[in-house]
Amino acid sequence: MTPHEFLEATLLAGIVASCWIGVIGMIRMRVPMQALDYLSLPACSGSILLVAAVFVHTGSSSAAWKTVVICLLLLAINPIVTHATARALRSRESGYWKLLPDDGAEFIPAGIRGPNDRYDQIVTAGPRKV
Amino acid sequence: MNLWLAASVGLSLALFPCAFICLSTSPERRLVGIQMTGLVLTILLVAITLACGYLPFLDAAGALALCAYGGGLFYARSMEKNP
Repeated sequence: MTPHEFLEATLLAGIVASCWIGVIGMIRMRVPMQALDYLSLPACSGSILLVAAVFVHTGSSSAAWKTVVICLLLLAINPIVTHATARALRSRESGYWKLLPDDGAEFIPAGIRGPNDRYDQIVTAGPRKV
Repeated sequence: MNLWLAASVGLSLALFPCAFICLSTSPERRLVGIQMTGLVLTILLVAITLACGYLPFLDAAGALALCAYGGGLFYARSMEKNP
C-alpha cells in the first residue's frame, strides 16, 4: 500500500467512523434534544474529511470542487436545521420556545438597566424543572 | 473491492440504525433520525459516485443535501405547529 492509498484509507475510515459515532450517539441519547448534538459529527467532521479524501483521490478536479460545494452546503445547513428542530421540540414540549418562569433561569428583560440595554439577558441557569 | 466501495458499504450499514429510529420511536426522535439519515445518505452518495467512477452522480448528492434541508425544516415547522 502506497502512502497515497494509506492517506486515502485513513480519511475514508475517519468518514465512516464519524458517521457511525453520530448514529450510535443519536440512538444512545434518550432525549431528542441531546440526540440533536450528534448531527454535527457527520455534518462537520464527516464532510470535511470527505472533501480531503476526494482531493487525495482525484486531485483538483471538478468532482473535488463539487464535493467542496456539497460540504459547504452541509456545513451551512446543519446549524439552521438543528436550531429549527430544537425550537420545534421546545415548542412541542412547553408550548412556547422562549424562556418560561419555571425554567429555572433568572431572566432580565431588555431595557431594564438603561436606554442602551437592548438585549434580554439570562443571568444564571439552574436545573430545569421536569 | 476498492477503498471507496468499502467505505460505501460501511456507510450504508449505518443507515439501518437510522431506519430503526425513523420507523419505531417517538415523532421527536424520528425527526432527528430523518435528519441523520439525510446527512449519512449525502455522504454515501458521494462515496458511491467515486467508487463507481461516474462523476455526474455527484449532482444527486448535492440535490439530496438541499432536499434534506427543505424536508427537515418543513417537518420541524409542521411539528412545531401541530403538537
